[in-house]
Amino acid sequence: MKIMRKALSASLLFALSTSIAQAEVPEEVTVGYLNLVNAQLVTKSLGLVQKEMPGVKINYIKVGGGGDMLRAIAGDQIDFGGLGNPPTAIGVTRDLPITGIMVLNMLDYVEAMAVRTSANIKKLEDLKGKTIAAPFGSTTHYLLLNALADEGIDPASMKIIDLRPNDIALAWSRGDIDAAWFWEPALGKVLNDDGNLFMTSGIMASRGYPTWDVGVVMDRFAEKYPDYVEKFVRAECKGIDYWLNNPADTAKIIAKELELSLEDATRMMKGTEMVPCPKQLTQQYIGETGKKGQFVDTLLSTATFLKDQKRLPKVPTRDTFETFLDASYLETITK
Amino acid sequence: MTGYESLRKLSQESSLNNLAENKTTVLDKPTNAFLASLYPFMKKQIDNKRHLSVMTILFLFFAWWFVTFIGWANPLFLPSPSAVTQSFVDVAVDGYQGSTLLEHVGTSLYRILTAFFFACLVGIPLGILMGISHSFHQVFNPIIEFYRPLPPLGLYTLLVMWLGIGESSKLALLFLSGLPGIIIATIQAVSDINPNYVRAARSVGAKRWDLIREVYLPGAGPTILTGMRISLGFIYTVLVAAEIVAATAGIGWMIWDAAKFLLSDVVIMGLIVLGVTGMLLDLTLKLFGKIVMPWTAVRKM
Repeated sequence: MKIMRKALSASLLFALSTSIAQAEVPEEVTVGYLNLVNAQLVTKSLGLVQKEMPGVKINYIKVGGGGDMLRAIAGDQIDFGGLGNPPTAIGVTRDLPITGIMVLNMLDYVEAMAVRTSANIKKLEDLKGKTIAAPFGSTTHYLLLNALADEGIDPASMKIIDLRPNDIALAWSRGDIDAAWFWEPALGKVLNDDGNLFMTSGIMASRGYPTWDVGVVMDRFAEKYPDYVEKFVRAECKGIDYWLNNPADTAKIIAKELELSLEDATRMMKGTEMVPCPKQLTQQYIGETGKKGQFVDTLLSTATFLKDQKRLPKVPTRDTFETFLDASYLETITK
Repeated sequence: MTGYESLRKLSQESSLNNLAENKTTVLDKPTNAFLASLYPFMKKQIDNKRHLSVMTILFLFFAWWFVTFIGWANPLFLPSPSAVTQSFVDVAVDGYQGSTLLEHVGTSLYRILTAFFFACLVGIPLGILMGISHSFHQVFNPIIEFYRPLPPLGLYTLLVMWLGIGESSKLALLFLSGLPGIIIATIQAVSDINPNYVRAARSVGAKRWDLIREVYLPGAGPTILTGMRISLGFIYTVLVAAEIVAATAGIGWMIWDAAKFLLSDVVIMGLIVLGVTGMLLDLTLKLFGKIVMPWTAVRKM
């Protein structure tokens, strides 16, 4: 009986909330942002999303990596999020209700494999028998396995363990691991501690494995408040423009947001490529409505790779990924 | 739930069971010979009200199947029983990320049992000493009371810093989660012993060691066993947390990893395996108690 009453009141509340929603102004907007270095930090710090959406409560949630972001999406805890290409491929294949709306960043040496200088690792072959860490399911785990596969090295010949970026820095300082492929800001800590850059995500991009992060919106939100998706994209585009036009001020913002030195922040910024919003509509990136760009190819090859790894049950059709990417918001605001 | 509460709950449950077992259900004698041969077994099960448990399980399975069959449940969150069975077969035969199901279970059981063994090895003697001696109790109680309510993940961060990402931090976390339950139960067990027994033993010249061996251990045995069961339960609940950091095998790790890739069929399969092995371990402990401490069974009659 009590449960019945609860269910009734819940459905009543739901009915109420949907009737309020017809005003098409969300009460609050929750942005899940990845703990890495990109223009979302600028947008957040300057309150650009808030300026676009006066009167709406904006919540920012910091998310450690793609795996956690997928969980947050599956649990319906965010409205906007950011995902690298492997988690995107996973989410889209598993029919998560999300749509890709913009390029957050292209990954260069902001994500990289660091090796312990004293471990004397000169080539990938030298990793055999060593312990290497990467956050599983992320862009870097994907690149690590691809780099090994390209040189015909069996991943079973070394110990590859799953650690989150902050845990990697901790395990590194204890000497538990010899190499790790992960990202800033945690990457900077190990580079200052007997570590050196061995391989970067930018190098892998030039070998045909581009990695990037794409901004996504929950379909539920996009259906209800399409205007607010547009406002969000506009705010993020302003953040990207600010990043490109005011590098010195941006470095200060990044340093403040991530509690880094200005020098570290500047280095990390250079390792990430920001794509101006009009350029995102070209074939190299998302492409345009009716003619999607290379992001679709990357998603397809990522899904195929994950299927081979038995991390995905199937590879979705090209069409699925083309539908996932929605260029219309970018097209509207860059018109 | 604190150790005391769960202890009280368990003992209430067992006394309820006793009541249920004493009641006899009237069943008509079946005429069919085959059924007649099953009769004693069936009667015992029904007297124990086992059929109710079987019905609960059947009902849950049916509800699960029905909800997924009708299409009410999003397969991403609740895959069908057949998908979960399929993943069970796949992982049992081909393995999940380099280890078969048996290896995953084996790795986890090794971690659980090692931690449990050390929790008993430390917890039971410490509990007896704390139960008998007031000074001992005062010395150790603050430590136990302080760390007992700490969330395992908070503790884990520190353990990883101290012991690294290898096996020792995992074992330490499991050990520390199992320890308080058994200590508290043992203290309780020892202090609940009828003081007349102690006086009687003393009057015939028993020394402290004799008392422990002849009075405290046999008298406290059943409650200590309950404490062991609680402790094993706590260790079990922390398993997934312990296997999150830098594991490459283990049933908890499998669940965590599969969740990352949204492989919900593997997640649910792993949880079922975890639950069933947990129940089997608990049954083993109960059986162990019946064999080693037959006097508990005598008291029931």
